[in-house]
Amino acid sequence: MIQTVKVKPIDNETLDEIGFSWHTDSDGTSYVADELIEVSSTEAEAYYNAANELYDMYAEAAEYVIENDLFFELGIPFNLVETIKKSWENDVHWHLYGRFDLAGGIDGKQIKLIEFNADTPTGLFETAIVQWAMLKVNNMDEEKQFNTVYESISENFKRLITLFDDPNEVSEETQQSRFEERYESWRILFSSIEGLDEDEVTTKLLKRMADDAGFITGFEFLQDVQFDDESISDAQNQDYEYWFKLFPWEDIAIEEGELALTLQHIMESQSAIILNPAYTLLFQSKGMLKILCDLFPESPYLLETSYEPLVKKAYVEKKVFGREGANVKFFNADGSVEAETEGDYGHYKSVFQEAFDFPQDGDENYYQAGVFFAYEACGLGYRRGGKILDNMSKFVGHVIR
Amino acid sequence: MSKFLTVGSAIGLGSMSLVVMTALSGCGEQEDPKNRFLIIEQTPMGKYTVIEEIPTDGPSRAIIREKDENGRVVERIMSEEEMRVLADQEYQRVQNGTSETTQGNSGGGMGLGGTILAVAAGSLLGNMIANQLMGNKNFSQNANRVNKSAYHADKRAAKSSSKKSFFSKKSTSSGKFSGWGG
Repeated sequence: MIQTVKVKPIDNETLDEIGFSWHTDSDGTSYVADELIEVSSTEAEAYYNAANELYDMYAEAAEYVIENDLFFELGIPFNLVETIKKSWENDVHWHLYGRFDLAGGIDGKQIKLIEFNADTPTGLFETAIVQWAMLKVNNMDEEKQFNTVYESISENFKRLITLFDDPNEVSEETQQSRFEERYESWRILFSSIEGLDEDEVTTKLLKRMADDAGFITGFEFLQDVQFDDESISDAQNQDYEYWFKLFPWEDIAIEEGELALTLQHIMESQSAIILNPAYTLLFQSKGMLKILCDLFPESPYLLETSYEPLVKKAYVEKKVFGREGANVKFFNADGSVEAETEGDYGHYKSVFQEAFDFPQDGDENYYQAGVFFAYEACGLGYRRGGKILDNMSKFVGHVIR
Repeated sequence: MSKFLTVGSAIGLGSMSLVVMTALSGCGEQEDPKNRFLIIEQTPMGKYTVIEEIPTDGPSRAIIREKDENGRVVERIMSEEEMRVLADQEYQRVQNGTSETTQGNSGGGMGLGGTILAVAAGSLLGNMIANQLMGNKNFSQNANRVNKSAYHADKRAAKSSSKKSFFSKKSTSSGKFSGWGG
């Protein structure tokens, strides 16, 4: 059972001040629980190992999908296929960060993969900043948290330049780090939707991580970014070598088809690199859960997943690009529906994943672990809610006991 | 100690640590808000929009251009203190949920207090209140709509002729993807 420890919450004024303005849910309740989950170091290490192993499996599975042309099975929009292939061919299209959603992991229960939010993962500010600040205001040991998210993503920005080489290794000859030696003032433009505060703050947090890494950066709302087939620039016409967009690739494909083609041309002309790379849409598709099962049938981290309803066992139907627990249906082993949510993703293909109970507390709340990944697993946070975790679920931080 | 446990200290948060530590210690670092000289014009519908906005080193001021009962255009000057009183009254309305600044669609302009608050909350009431207000989607959209000045437009976008922009619908989209789901 999940054990939590009650802590003093951070007041809303302070949260506003650090930029975390989405602290209150629409029903007036606090989005961040005034509790921390107690996790053992063994449990934390198991999450770390699981996410690292799962990432390697995803990379192998992506290779398999591309080699065998399985884009349609994953529900990938046809106008992104070339862009995805292109992004996969060259390591410079470096995956910045993602978040694995996991069940199990507590009380010796096997960790199970629920999905991988690889393209536009949220929950970043909560995991990287807020739960750390909760330790701080409660005078708890700051070292007692599986949380190197800020530093790890900042380091991963440097790897955009050094790739698999250690960006911090100092050359005896020049006394400069590898990153400093190789970085030639390339710029990163960060963009999010205007009017969505959470997205803007999250994007600006990533910009700050890149600033700290040593990059020249800029910010422009999505509608003010300028494109042609060979460049991406801000409203002042300054060109950028990298463009980070907190906007789903599948929505670019469907809602902004002309831009999807322009971005393909930009990649073909090697004039800019887009983050997260297009291949993260493969990871993001829940259809990958089925591919993983085919390729790694023995993996303890995987739940049986199929493109067809499962027989004689409880399962969950999800849409390949569903978000926030929308369009999810829980089926009992006899085929009856136990719970379901409405949503806007009904037009996507379905996958059917074996049901697996999330850890619970004494009040019958369910908990889902989110493990951030940036070159390696780097931080843990939890969501608390009902049987289907939706956008009214709460963020719960953790402390290592 | 395992790799996964090693950070968590403030040093690991880079420049963000200063922001968090300052906020937690209760002494927020405030950027000096720029004062504004505004020309605010009444619309035929009796609402107000900002037609000129000029940053100034002196105190904030506004010229209010409106029609008198005979339909003649008259101009009056509003001092920083008068502006602050109106902005503060409007902010009170925001807090009790009756302000039009936080309601949807102010396409035709807003009342005088709402217009002033939307454009100059930072310089009149401080950055913390301004940031909090701008965090409200309706407020930030209304603040954009009510400000027709060239200065504001320049800040928003200086479009190049050969390039294209996209996402035109997204600035008003309510299709929020957030929380843990994305």
